[in-house]
Amino acid sequence: MSRQLKIVCLVLIIFAMAVPAVLSPCTHALAEPEDDATLQMLDGKRIGVQTGTTFDAITKASLPNATIEYYNSYADLVEALTSSKIDGFPADEPVLQMIAAENPKIKILDDRLEEFDFGVIFPKTDEGSKLKREFDDWISKAKASGDLEKMRNEWITNPDEQKTIPDYKSFPAPKGTLTMATEGAYPPMNYYRDNQLVGLEVDLAASFCQDTGYGLELVPMNFDAILPAVQTGKADFAMAGITITEERKEGVLFSEPYYTGGTVVAILDRSKVGVGATSFFDGIAESFAKTFIRENRWHMFMEGVGVTLAITLLSIVLGTLLGFIVFLLCRNGGRISNGIRSACMWLIQGMPGVVLLMILYYIVFGSFSIGGVAVSVVGFTLTFGTTVFGLLKMGVGAVDVGQREAAYALGYSTRKTFFKIILPQAMPHIVAPYKGEVVNLIKATSIVGYIAVQDLTKMGDIVRSRTYEAFFPLIAITIIYFALEGLLGLLVSRIAITFDPKRRTKDEILKGVVTDD
Amino acid sequence: MIRIEHLRKEYSNITPLKDVNATINDGDVISVIGPSGTGKSTLLRCINQLETPTSGRVWIDDVEITDPKCDINEVRKKMGMVFQSFNLFGHLTVIENVMLPPMDLLGASKQEAYDKGMHLLRAVGLAKKALNYPDELSGGQKQRIAIARTLAMDPEVILFDEPTSALDPTMVGEVQTVIRELATTGKTLMIVTHEMAFARAICNRVFYMDEGGIYEDGAPEQVFDNPLRENTKRFVRRLKVLELSIQGRDFDFLDMMGQLERYCMRSEIPPTQSYRIRLAFEELTLLIVPKLANPKLTVAVEWSGTLQQAALTFRYNGSASNAISHADEIVANILQGGTSRIDYSYVEGADLPNQIAVTIRQG
Repeated sequence: MSRQLKIVCLVLIIFAMAVPAVLSPCTHALAEPEDDATLQMLDGKRIGVQTGTTFDAITKASLPNATIEYYNSYADLVEALTSSKIDGFPADEPVLQMIAAENPKIKILDDRLEEFDFGVIFPKTDEGSKLKREFDDWISKAKASGDLEKMRNEWITNPDEQKTIPDYKSFPAPKGTLTMATEGAYPPMNYYRDNQLVGLEVDLAASFCQDTGYGLELVPMNFDAILPAVQTGKADFAMAGITITEERKEGVLFSEPYYTGGTVVAILDRSKVGVGATSFFDGIAESFAKTFIRENRWHMFMEGVGVTLAITLLSIVLGTLLGFIVFLLCRNGGRISNGIRSACMWLIQGMPGVVLLMILYYIVFGSFSIGGVAVSVVGFTLTFGTTVFGLLKMGVGAVDVGQREAAYALGYSTRKTFFKIILPQAMPHIVAPYKGEVVNLIKATSIVGYIAVQDLTKMGDIVRSRTYEAFFPLIAITIIYFALEGLLGLLVSRIAITFDPKRRTKDEILKGVVTDD
Repeated sequence: MIRIEHLRKEYSNITPLKDVNATINDGDVISVIGPSGTGKSTLLRCINQLETPTSGRVWIDDVEITDPKCDINEVRKKMGMVFQSFNLFGHLTVIENVMLPPMDLLGASKQEAYDKGMHLLRAVGLAKKALNYPDELSGGQKQRIAIARTLAMDPEVILFDEPTSALDPTMVGEVQTVIRELATTGKTLMIVTHEMAFARAICNRVFYMDEGGIYEDGAPEQVFDNPLRENTKRFVRRLKVLELSIQGRDFDFLDMMGQLERYCMRSEIPPTQSYRIRLAFEELTLLIVPKLANPKLTVAVEWSGTLQQAALTFRYNGSASNAISHADEIVANILQGGTSRIDYSYVEGADLPNQIAVTIRQG
């Protein structure tokens, strides 16, 4: 059965990979050629925008009739554009130049949508404004001395692949260590190269801290999580290609701009469609190399697997314990304790996982210095605990009431009845759904990127932000998830078999007994 | 000795036990009988506290077990219970079902528990099933194991809550045999049962339960043959005599045949005679009812176990008319073959004046 299932899954995955590869040239061939595209031709078309950015407002200002569609990353936008789901997407000029260099099918329109400034954001607190003043002083000096221009040149205008960042981890930090929130998926501003966070912003932050006597710690997180992280003080400041707007100024403090650029729009270069098209298998081989081999990116996947497994396993163990303990305590509980318990469960189960994690990270544990991994473990322990409680309730309810009565009538205490008679008979009802819940939990952990945890999914996102391939890294992490699910499922089954009383042999049952036959 | 004082058990919608008083001596074997819904099982379950009585007290020797401070688990170790639905532990083998309670509760070693368990399994004839799981056994086998499991705790008292009611008729005997043997060992037994012949055969005392209490308490000869009180008389008579009543032309013939069949089975009437009873009922009913304008008919069926003799009495309304005289040749032949005597009489002034007494042929 499970073997058949694996084959079916494999076929589905191969099919899913093959379909776009086979179909995309055909669909594009049907479109009419467009040579001299202008910005105005995009009015009334579908424009993709990265969630959490200000590009939607900027696009609307220039192209009032455009339909805005939201995507989570540039890798997704590139994929959407090349598969004609959108007709164009705006991005900052340096970003788009890098994307276009990687992807020959993409062309940049000459017209600029808008000029913009990037600024560092700080929390609206006394420390925040003090830090802002220090940074503003530093950046004006850097502008005056030409250092800023030099850095911009090294990272953007003439990118130098060998350019390194000061070793910020070993700064002497007489004034304490600053935490900077960033995305890690926005080249050339902040991105991973050889598994290290690099980019103009990282360079700026490191230089600033070095010059002013701070230590530096970088916390990569999803772009939409950066503002709340700064507002709640989880990070001392953030640099992540954040455009200075009036609306944002209401929530955070902005430094003087450290970068001024223009927003440009990418469209599909119809004349180049089909150029560089390789055979299906060569394409896969190249994608594989890009995703895993280049810059040793497989290290990042391994790290992600480690984090995902750690969160999942800890949550399974702690959640099972939690569910079990709560069940034992509430088994004979009164109306009040049961009321409290069901209210808590209702709250935890009813809340979307992302919201629960965000609340735990920013509000409940907001003022503690607890890492995202620990908060994730707490969150998933709670959700898995409620699941285990429900499973126990169901399994115990499935055991005939006569079993309990028979045990009581023999003189078993309530506790002994539960452990010796009821629980062993409830287990077979619980094991199969428990296994399913374990698999669900592994998948559910893929949202921890929201609270600055770099799990498998987040690592996939980071790699996608470098390769601008939406597809292959996704399939790759899916396969890794399948493998993890299979592994944990197997583990649970093994444990279940060990504990199944009906699988014991005669010798095991009568161990240590002298029989007369 | 078990002493019950003013025991009362109320549920939200019904009060099965209103005021129960009784003293049960060591070594008593008591059959608890009575119509359904009179609290027979509830009484047993109040004695071992599976149900908490609403009020009243229960003493076992000098221990008041209705006292909240009483450690009921200790009391239950000396008071076994056998359930209608067996309740063997499904995750354990037969031998473990018998071994586990003394190991868990009496501190017996595994070897002791095993030796005793095998001894008990041999006593109930199921030693070769030791390593089977309960769901691989028949109902009768399960109940015998359940009795062995209870015995493994060496109880002084055993409560049987309808031990054969859930069994196929073919399996009732094997369980009854085990209980019958147990009744000779001097243990105190209380047995709720609907098997009257069995109840009478093994007990030295009968509780007839009705009207929310023990309505009549006496030796089996008294309760079954010469009951003192009205409800007991009616109950005991109903056990022996089956009364069927027909009003109007539309009656449920199949249901009556079913009642007859069950009566014959319960009274252990041999198959030939059982067949003849049904035949006589069918033919005579079909002779009498169509002739009456507004038919009213009662049929009483009686079986004497000692004489091995069955008799049917038909009483019906209308003017004097011997239904037998209307029978055609075929029906007359059938009746003649199945009966040894048919007498018609007319009782002036009776509610149902016509009367046909039929004696079923023997052998």
